[in-house]
Amino acid sequence: MEDKKDILEKAADVLKDEKIPPGPSQELVNETLARLADTSEHPETIQLGHRIRLRERLRVIHHLYKVAAAVILLLVGGYAVGRLSAPRPPDMKELQAVLVPAIREELLDEINENLQSSYASLTDSLDRKYQQDLNRVGMQIMAAANTVTNERLAELAESFNAYQTQERQWFTTMLERLESNRLQDSAVLSNALVTVAQQTKEEMERTKQDIVQLLPYTQPTGSAPD
Amino acid sequence: MIDWNIIIKEHGPSVWKTAYRLLGNHADAADCFQETFVSALSFCRRQRVRNYSALLAHLATARAIDQLRRRFRQAQSKTDFMDCTVEEYDNAGPYQQAERQELADKVRQSLSALTPQEAQVFCLRYLNDMSYREIAKQLGISTNSAGVLLHRARTRLRESVEFSTPE
Repeated sequence: MEDKKDILEKAADVLKDEKIPPGPSQELVNETLARLADTSEHPETIQLGHRIRLRERLRVIHHLYKVAAAVILLLVGGYAVGRLSAPRPPDMKELQAVLVPAIREELLDEINENLQSSYASLTDSLDRKYQQDLNRVGMQIMAAANTVTNERLAELAESFNAYQTQERQWFTTMLERLESNRLQDSAVLSNALVTVAQQTKEEMERTKQDIVQLLPYTQPTGSAPD
Repeated sequence: MIDWNIIIKEHGPSVWKTAYRLLGNHADAADCFQETFVSALSFCRRQRVRNYSALLAHLATARAIDQLRRRFRQAQSKTDFMDCTVEEYDNAGPYQQAERQELADKVRQSLSALTPQEAQVFCLRYLNDMSYREIAKQLGISTNSAGVLLHRARTRLRESVEFSTPE
């Protein structure tokens, strides 16, 4: 089996590796282009070629009549000879024993060929399907991840805003309380200052009267005027 | 409007290589080259071509196999289709060269004995390195049918080559 394979592969390789002269020549290219142009302009050229070929075929068929007659004669003669010297009818079991393995081998080879080609196409299609499924699942996962991330980001922004609002409100309350304390302290201080000023004024008046009352006691006693 | 000049410049060398590889001589390869592009032109008139490379490989192989079948059907002498200047293989002695040349001719003859579809599938797979799917697409058959045709072609070619190759 290996030898047979080698022979066939070697034969194919010989044909494949045969050294081929460079070509086509420019002359051949020009002739081909001219022929193509001619065929394009006169499509009937091809039909003419067919007609010539048909004529040749008719001539060959004419010659074939003689050959066919000879073959028929030969067949009739052979049939007659065979009929006269007819051997015993073929043994069906023997025929079956000969044919069955050969048919089985042929069938197995064909089935193997079919299976191989089907396997190749099935593998290709499964690969493509797997790739498509993988891409689709990947896209779905990416979309879901994006959605979840966006939701989390929105929640985070919302909590930041709430916290900032709360902070601002607390700060405003504190400022208002400070302002009211300041106003209250300022009022208390001004009242106290007014009270101190009045008391100081009264004390000053009282001191002045005391001084006035004490003034006669402070006159000099030595030389009184005449 | 198709610019055949550009297409021939771009794909001409690969078509030439396919034709020469299968036919083995300059004159037949040149005929096959022209036939291939004429067939491509008539194909383009019928339907739009998306892959010129694959189409031309298929057409070149088909035309070359047609020519091989005609050649062996007409039973011309071997010297008729062989080039006088046989291409030399690198790093091979005269015996190996002769052996390889003989094997190549045997493969060509065996290919001409196959059905056209089998021969095309074999050539496209082993000589043009096309995948089953590409071959099936070019020949307008299912991938399974391409596999079956290739299997049959290999079996028949193996038998034919092995039968004619001396031990």
